[in-house]
Amino acid sequence: MLPSRKMLRWYRCSSNWILSGLIAVLLGGMVLLAAAQILMRNLFSYSLFWGDDLLQLALLWLVMSGAVAAAHTGEHLRINILAQYIPRAARPWMYAALHVFTAAVCAVLAWQSALMVLESAEYGDMMFGKLPAWGAQLVMPVGFGLLAFNYTIRCLSEVFHGVRRRAPHGSMT
Amino acid sequence: MTILIMVLAALLGAPLFAIIAYSALANFHGADISLQVVAIEFFRMAEQPFLVAIPLFTLSGFLLAESNAPSRLVRLTQALMGWMPAGLAVVCLITCALFTAFTGGSGVTIIALGALLMPALKEAGYLDSFSLGMVTSAGSLGLLFAPSLPLILYGVVSGESIRDLFLAGIIPGVLMVALLAGYSIWSCRGVKRPLARFSKREALTALREAAWEIPLPMVVLGGIYSGFFAISEAAAVMAVYVIIVEVLVLKEVPISKLPRIMRESSVLIGAILLILGLSLASTNFMIDAGIPQKLLALISQWVSSKFTFILLLLVFLLVLGAILDIFSALVLMVPLVLPVATEFGINPVHLGILFLATMELGYLTPPVGMNLFISSYRFDRPITAVYLSTIPFFLVMLVSVLVIAFWPQLSLWLLA
Repeated sequence: MLPSRKMLRWYRCSSNWILSGLIAVLLGGMVLLAAAQILMRNLFSYSLFWGDDLLQLALLWLVMSGAVAAAHTGEHLRINILAQYIPRAARPWMYAALHVFTAAVCAVLAWQSALMVLESAEYGDMMFGKLPAWGAQLVMPVGFGLLAFNYTIRCLSEVFHGVRRRAPHGSMT
Repeated sequence: MTILIMVLAALLGAPLFAIIAYSALANFHGADISLQVVAIEFFRMAEQPFLVAIPLFTLSGFLLAESNAPSRLVRLTQALMGWMPAGLAVVCLITCALFTAFTGGSGVTIIALGALLMPALKEAGYLDSFSLGMVTSAGSLGLLFAPSLPLILYGVVSGESIRDLFLAGIIPGVLMVALLAGYSIWSCRGVKRPLARFSKREALTALREAAWEIPLPMVVLGGIYSGFFAISEAAAVMAVYVIIVEVLVLKEVPISKLPRIMRESSVLIGAILLILGLSLASTNFMIDAGIPQKLLALISQWVSSKFTFILLLLVFLLVLGAILDIFSALVLMVPLVLPVATEFGINPVHLGILFLATMELGYLTPPVGMNLFISSYRFDRPITAVYLSTIPFFLVMLVSVLVIAFWPQLSLWLLA
């Protein structure tokens, strides 16, 4: 079944809400935790032994969420010097091909990180002393999986709905 | 084949992260190494303590840009320095440099400050092409000052001390601003314009208005330079301070806007660090495969002196800066260039400053330098007009880049 515009809109809308919420929790939590660590260190000469590790893990989660958010709005860094020389009519196909390429790469990354998570679960890797590490690593297969899904959807909508929005897509400003 | 696909996909506009991941995957596959390595290397990102500073500084920068801090900054510098000949031009350079240092990514400056500075310059009687060139060139000024993101990123990628880099950037950064200011004063010498008098009252009002933001650079930079804060601690202090001041005290950014601002900053963070994480894997492959050594052997065939090498490097970085954003360029090129440059006797900290200074210039290099496009879009001018207007500023900055490149003590003096 091909994705209809309505479905696409629903998908964009709901995933946007979830993403924004997750990002706010992660980034807000990082600010609070980092500040709390400094306060405790200076006032009570005490710090949470897992605080810095948790911050670094939160960063990984934030990076994956931000990467998915950037894919939603087409804001991943890129160079597109040649695109303007491609005839207008051929551009949807060119973009579709680039999206397929990106989706395929992300799918391989998702698959390989899933293998990593499985192995880590088998070995029983731990973090913070007592929690299984695979829980934190799960963000990688999920994140790359969502990226692959996202670019597949973009490819399909490029092919079936043609060029609708040709907003400048790319260079971060 | 791999390289052909990469180059084609890159030039047509595939996301850079996908191209880097593809190169890592293809290389490891070719060498019969499990592709899981790429995932494992990516996960190593969670083991780098300095990286936590990046989202915190980015969030602060986005929040500051969203508040009225830019206009207070302009008013304050104008009150303090507007009486000088070409005072407003100097104000423009200094505010842009400060703003870029604190917001990191280039381009934001032109968008946030351009709307304030362009009309002010016009009103004060500066020629249109002068103002356009000045704002466009100033848009990336300040990358050499702490706590700019590219400096931190260079530290992370090269393994050099970020505090050393922060120190090393000061004199070269001041040199760049000073040369541009000197050029502005010289170029406006013929324009008869009543100089604004220094007004104590206006200065005091501006100071009072910016009272909340003035301690910020002192706390953050003082904390870092004195060694009181680690880089990530300074970033946390800044984020908390900016949130408290702009959201709770001055109430210029409503709480309801916070999630959107957080999302916007994390898009930038995600875009930059995704590339960094994936390039950890591709870099590792290149180092294992001895690419830097091969590169060195190749270059040594043609180039024997340090002088020629630096010249070659400058040309290369200038072209790179014109087509690639500074973050991707750092992550991709530093691991390759650093070992070669060290062989030619270049200090890694000096290389960092040289790298960033040249990339700064790359943003102004036609035909594709990013600042040129942002400016043309933001001020609604034809791109050719922007090209022409930036030429004198480009040349002045080129002089300062050459000085920075061939006078390493300038960067290393404060480290000694």
